[in-house]
Parts: sequence; C-alpha cells; structure tokens
Amino acid sequence: MRTARRISQVVFFCLFIFLLVMTEYNGTDQISYPVKIFFDFDPLVAVAAFLAAHSLPAMMLWSLATVALTVAFGRIFCSWVCPMGTLSHVLSHNKLKTAESVRRNRYHKRQSWKYVAVAFFLIASALGLQIVGFLDPFSVLIRSFALAVNPVFNFLARALLYPLLTLDWPWLNAIVEPMFTFLRRYVLSFEQPYFYQGLFIGLLFVAIAVLNQVRRRFWCRFLCPLGALLGLLGRFSFLKLVVNKETCTSCMLCNRNCEGACEPHSTESWVRAECLPCWNCVEACPHGSISLGLGLPGRKDASVDLSKRAVLASAGTAVGALALMRIDPRKLAPSSRVSSGRDSKKHNPLLIRPPGAVDEEEFLKRCIKCGECMKVCIKNAIHPTLMEAGLEGLWTPYLKMQLGYCEFNCTLCGQVCPTGAIEKLTTEAKHVNRIGLAFFDRNRCIPFSLGRNCIVCEEVCPTPKKAIYFEEVEVTDRDGKRQVIKQPVIDPHLCIGCGICEYVCPLVDKPGVYCTSIGESRSSSNQLLLDVYGSGKI
Amino acid sequence: MSINRKSFLKLVGASAAAAALGGCGGGGERNASAEAAAGGRSPRPVTLSGPGMSVVKGADVRAITRRAVAELGGMGLFVSRGDKVLIKPNIGWDRVPAQAATTNPDVVAELCVMCLDAGAARVIVLDNTINDPRRCYVRSGIKAAAEEVGAEVPFLEDFNFSSVNVGGELIREWPVYREALEVDRIINVPIAKHHSLSRLSLGMKNFYGLMGGRRNQLHQDVHLSIAEMTRFFAPALTVIDAVRILTANGPSGGSLNDVKQLDTVIASVDPVAADARAAGFFGIDPATISHLEIGSKMGLGTLDLNAIQTAEVEI
Repeated sequence: MRTARRISQVVFFCLFIFLLVMTEYNGTDQISYPVKIFFDFDPLVAVAAFLAAHSLPAMMLWSLATVALTVAFGRIFCSWVCPMGTLSHVLSHNKLKTAESVRRNRYHKRQSWKYVAVAFFLIASALGLQIVGFLDPFSVLIRSFALAVNPVFNFLARALLYPLLTLDWPWLNAIVEPMFTFLRRYVLSFEQPYFYQGLFIGLLFVAIAVLNQVRRRFWCRFLCPLGALLGLLGRFSFLKLVVNKETCTSCMLCNRNCEGACEPHSTESWVRAECLPCWNCVEACPHGSISLGLGLPGRKDASVDLSKRAVLASAGTAVGALALMRIDPRKLAPSSRVSSGRDSKKHNPLLIRPPGAVDEEEFLKRCIKCGECMKVCIKNAIHPTLMEAGLEGLWTPYLKMQLGYCEFNCTLCGQVCPTGAIEKLTTEAKHVNRIGLAFFDRNRCIPFSLGRNCIVCEEVCPTPKKAIYFEEVEVTDRDGKRQVIKQPVIDPHLCIGCGICEYVCPLVDKPGVYCTSIGESRSSSNQLLLDVYGSGKI
Repeated sequence: MSINRKSFLKLVGASAAAAALGGCGGGGERNASAEAAAGGRSPRPVTLSGPGMSVVKGADVRAITRRAVAELGGMGLFVSRGDKVLIKPNIGWDRVPAQAATTNPDVVAELCVMCLDAGAARVIVLDNTINDPRRCYVRSGIKAAAEEVGAEVPFLEDFNFSSVNVGGELIREWPVYREALEVDRIINVPIAKHHSLSRLSLGMKNFYGLMGGRRNQLHQDVHLSIAEMTRFFAPALTVIDAVRILTANGPSGGSLNDVKQLDTVIASVDPVAADARAAGFFGIDPATISHLEIGSKMGLGTLDLNAIQTAEVEI
C-alpha cells in the first residue's frame, strides 16, 4: 500500500505541475487545462465561497467527491492526492536519532490549531468575511508557485542558458539550443514573470517549508484548514487501525515513521482524524502487528481536539475581525442622504480589477487569492494587492499598467478563476468591459508639456474606433518658431481602461497617461459621467 | 527645432552626394547599390533588366503576389542559391487578416515559396510586435501560413538584439534584431495602412518592427527615423500588400468599416517609389508625406512615379 500511495503522490504532484505550466496562453483563445481543476475538488473553498457568496460554480460540486472519499476512508486525500501534502512530506525528511524522532512524532495538542482555523474561516465566511485563501492549501500552493517559485525557476533557467546561447561554440550550441527550445516551448513562461510581493510570498512559502523540519508535515498537522475539515468529515470513516497486542513489542517504530502523528502504536491511542493514511506504520512494524484497513467504526471517536470553548472563541474572533475590517473607510456603507456621496468616496483609484470581475463586495466574498489569474495573464499585468483592497483583500488581483496591460482580445483570467470572482467573458463582452478609464497628465504628457509630437498612446489604442484621438494645436517654441502638433484626448465613451496607453508611454518613470478604476463596468457607484452611466445609483 | 533644420541640411548634402554617385536614375537598367552605399547593411547589388516596379491586381492573392515579383524579373533576381532571407511582414497587432492591420498571410507565404524555389537555404519571417507576440503570430495567420510552406517563424528573443550603429543623425546606437544584420536579403512585406502620426504606414515605416529598445521614442521625430531605418536596413525588395487597406483608425484598426478591398500587390526595388505608389490608394499626394520626401532626398529612391518604369497588370 505504501508503494501505491507513493505512486499516487508522484502522479498527482506531476499533474499539479503540468496544470500549472498549462495555465498560460498556448495559441488558442480557450485554455484547456487550467490548474483550477484542483480547486474543483477542494470542499473547503466550496463551503467558504458558498457560505459567503451564497452561490457556487457548478464545477465545484466535484468537491463532493472528496467529501465522499473522506467520509468513507478518512484523510486519504491528504496523503495520496494533495500536492501541498506531498511537498510537506518530502520536505519533512530528517536525520534525527530514533528516540528523538519518536518523541517529536507524538501527537501534539497544538494540532488542534487547524480545527480552530477552520472554525474561524467558516464562521467568518458565514458572516460574509471570506478570507479562507490565506490558508487554503491550494491557494497557498498555487499562489506561491505562480508568484514566486515559477518566476525563480524562469530566472535561473534564463540566467544559466542565455549566456551559453550567445556563445558561438558549435558543440555547445548543439547541446544548449535544443534544450532551450524545449524548455521555451513547453516549460518556461513566455517571458520572465515579475510580481509585486513575489519576494514576500516566496519567503512565506520558505517559512512554511522550513517548519516541516520543526515537526514532520507541520503544515498538515498544525495549520491546514482543509486537512482539519477532512479530519472532521472523516472522523467516523471506515478506516480502521488495529494493533495486535500479542506481537507488539512497543518498539515505537510505527510512531517514528508516522506522517500524521496519529499515535498508531495501539488500537486505543490511534487518532483517526489525525491519521493521514500513509501505511508507513504497517510497513515499519518489524512484527507485522499493525493492520490498517476497513472496518466499522467501533468506539466513539473523541479524537478531534475541538472544544466548544475553542469554537466559541473562533466565532468571537470572526465577529471581531469582521467588524474591524468593516470600519475601514473603503467599506463605507451606502447612504442616499448625502449628495456628495460620502460612501462613494470609498473607491480606490489604483484598484483596477481584471475584466469580468464582479462588484467589489461580491468580489471579496468569492476571491480566494490563489493567483491563477496572475499566472495566466498574458501581459503579466495582474498583481497581488497589498492594502489597496483592505486587509481582507490582501493578495487579491489588480492590474498595474506600467508593467503590463490588459490585452484587448484576451479572456484568460476569467477562464481560470475557480470561484467566479472574475466571470468568464466572451471576446465580444470583453471588448466593451470597462476596467477603468485613462486620463492624461497634461503637466507631463510630451505634446502638452514639451510641445513635441508623440501620440504613441493613440497608435496603440485597441478599440476599433480609437478611444484616444487628438487635436492639432499650434505651439510656439522659445525662438518663436510655430509648429502644429497633435495633442491626445480621451473619449470616455470608448475608453475601456485597458492601460496599453499607460504601458507604452515614453515617460517610463511616471507615465503621462494613466488609468484609474473609475468608470469600471462592475460598479454602479464608481462612476463619473451622467450621460454614460447616469443612474444616480450608489 | 534647430536640430531638425541642421539634420535636414545635412540630408540635402548627403542626397546630393548619393545622386552624384549615380543612384537613382529612372527606368531601364538600374543599379540598386545606392541603397547599400548609404546604409549600414551592404547587400549584393541587384541588376534589373525589366521594370523597377509592378502593380498587379486580381482576386487570387497568391497569383498576384507571384506575378508582381515575376514582372520585375522573378525572385531569382534577388535570391541566390544558399541565401538566408528575412521576410519582414507587419505582424504587429492582434488582429485577423480581414481587419487589415497585419500583412495578408497569403502574400507572405507566396513570397516564402518563391524564395525557397529560388534556392534560399533559410527563409525567416518575424516581427517585433506591439500586442502580445503569441497572439499576433497566431491571429494574423502568418505563422501558420509561412511555416506550412517551410519558412521559420520564430519569436524574438531578448538575447538576439545587438546594439549597433544605425548611422543616422537621429538614430545612432540602437538595439536591432540580429537576424536582420546577418541575412543576405531583406524582403519587406508591409500592409498599406492609415497612421495618425506618419500619415501612412507603408514599407518604410515597417522597419520599426526590426528595432528593439525604446522605439516608442522614435515617434518624436517619426519621419526622419523612418527614413534612417530604411537606409540602414536596405531592403532588396519591397512588396506592399494592398489586398485590403486600412483607411482609418490605423495602424491597429479593428473595424471592418475602415477596410477597403483593393486586391492589389505592389512590388518594387525602390522603397520610396513603392510607398509613393501606395499613397495614391489613399488619395494622398506622396510628396506631402515627409518621410518619403526625406527618403528620396537621402537617395533611397524616387518620389517621381514617372521616373520609374512600372508594369501595371490585371489578372
């Protein structure tokens, strides 16, 4: 069984990497194998999103399969499928002496943390504060891989291969060129990806990895809220561990090799909810005393360490967190009394959400901060927020137009979003979906400030009738010489805020044209023009 | 603006010198080596025996492309056995051929076939695109069409740009794509389009796509930069795709209302004359387009369409 489990782990981990690599434009408008498939089997995300947003993408019903599997066989998912589990497993290898290893591998009462975490996340979600993405294992894994691991891999591959490619040694080229072509075609990102906070998210991931050296599978035992949910679901499963007392010599080798710290050294001590059925104990036992198989749950399983007090504390924390996050000025509640609309001042100009994103309040309830849209963005324009959307919205996606822009015909971000925070748009719908609006900074824009031609922005403006047009204006230089130049102007009826103008502006440090979120299609209150949007709605 | 005036005067001087060396006579025997004398690359001279320009109209895009080159004397005139040829279409935009923002894929593919038939060892098709290169290469239809007939259509790689002396008054050191420096022949295959700043985007403007770096700055003196690039790249042959032309909202286009179907291809050894002829499709007097005027004064070709023998064919 252990061999079968190992094969399964390798297969699913490779599948994860394959899907992650495939979460990129590859010559067709529709993406075939996005890594979001993993989320479709994640019941934690499904429950949290459903509790908060009261809706669920149909594909997430697949998570019921995981639920069924767990109810029947315990946390098989954690030890056989979950790539985060596999990674933690591999990183847990150590060279401790047997006695120390046994001591550190006993059940630890703080393994109850994860139950507190899941209680907190689910209660908060029910109250409308959905932040499960901070600790959901797939969110953590995909975010870390997309924003840190993959960019690091790309950086190292290019740093190594580029210098070799420029050398003119035929024998070397014969080796390196096919290698590079293969990597370029099938593995590397098309261009080196760069992400704000990639460093920070990478460091957090390193910390999670290093904790595995403190305790084996630290993530799975102490932190993982999905593991906790599956533990709760699987506590009455048919998984059964039996130790033959006649032949057991209490050598504790089973305990030494245990992945979950579930105390497999006797039938009575075994903690079903902590067991990551890995079959290590069975394989390790020199006397063949342990059997792990199926059977009717016998005694009452009191093994989940989640007291009523802990649940109450979680609920209290969730309420407190919700209230704290709701007193942020960005959360100003609608009020129709004030004509200046104090509440409509809550919009952050920098918070340009991807095309197809739903209204902000709903968006935060759906987004699980997984970073898939950032991975797939063809122009590397989507980045994780810091405080632009409040603490609640940390690591949610927004566009930075100086680094990239929203490609006119591309709809990939909506295709890979697992929870419908970014809705799937048709190309036609995308063409008229406003994510913001462009403005000229006339103090900087070259034709205005320096009296010279430029209008690169007008050239690249992608709407069929260009949203940037120009006025011909006569300017006089210091010697009195007159010249007619073209000064660009925005047509707010046509601009969709794609940001390509800001991206190509020659004023690279601080562009002379920039986009802000106002006018975005998804919002009824972040609007400016009466004739375009006029509803007076807040 | 004093710099412009100064550079303009220098250009006048340079073009006078070029004319004295015997470059741009019209009709009959014509030696195109004047291009090489003025620019950075120095390709083999082409000796014409027929017309210097052809304008072919017809419904079959591949047939008119082939005929246009045949009228000049055939591809064998430009491409010799073993040559490495760069075909430079406009693949700059994420648009489909019907939107007339990118070169017609059939024109490109037919040129590739002709080059390979003439014995070219390698035919490379590429462009430094504005929109995402992956999308542009696919949606323009050029990658599929050119690869099908045996050409290479690579994406540009950062490490393949070299900073070189372009030799201009305006453009001095600039990153240029290495293939363009190394090939034996450059065949320029633009599509005829409207452009707000340079007025039209034709053959000479198409060389933006071989430049790297901060090329958006070139807009600040768009006409001179276009002429200097043309001088530097010294195309052996210009083939202008006017199967469909984009009459407004260029160079990116997007609306079929701005597209006009002309079913025409122009081929010429003279990059200025080819553009001048194409300007007529837009009802624009070529003499009013600054980069053509500068180009003719540099000795890159002639603005006078009566001075170049032209074969007009309809098939």
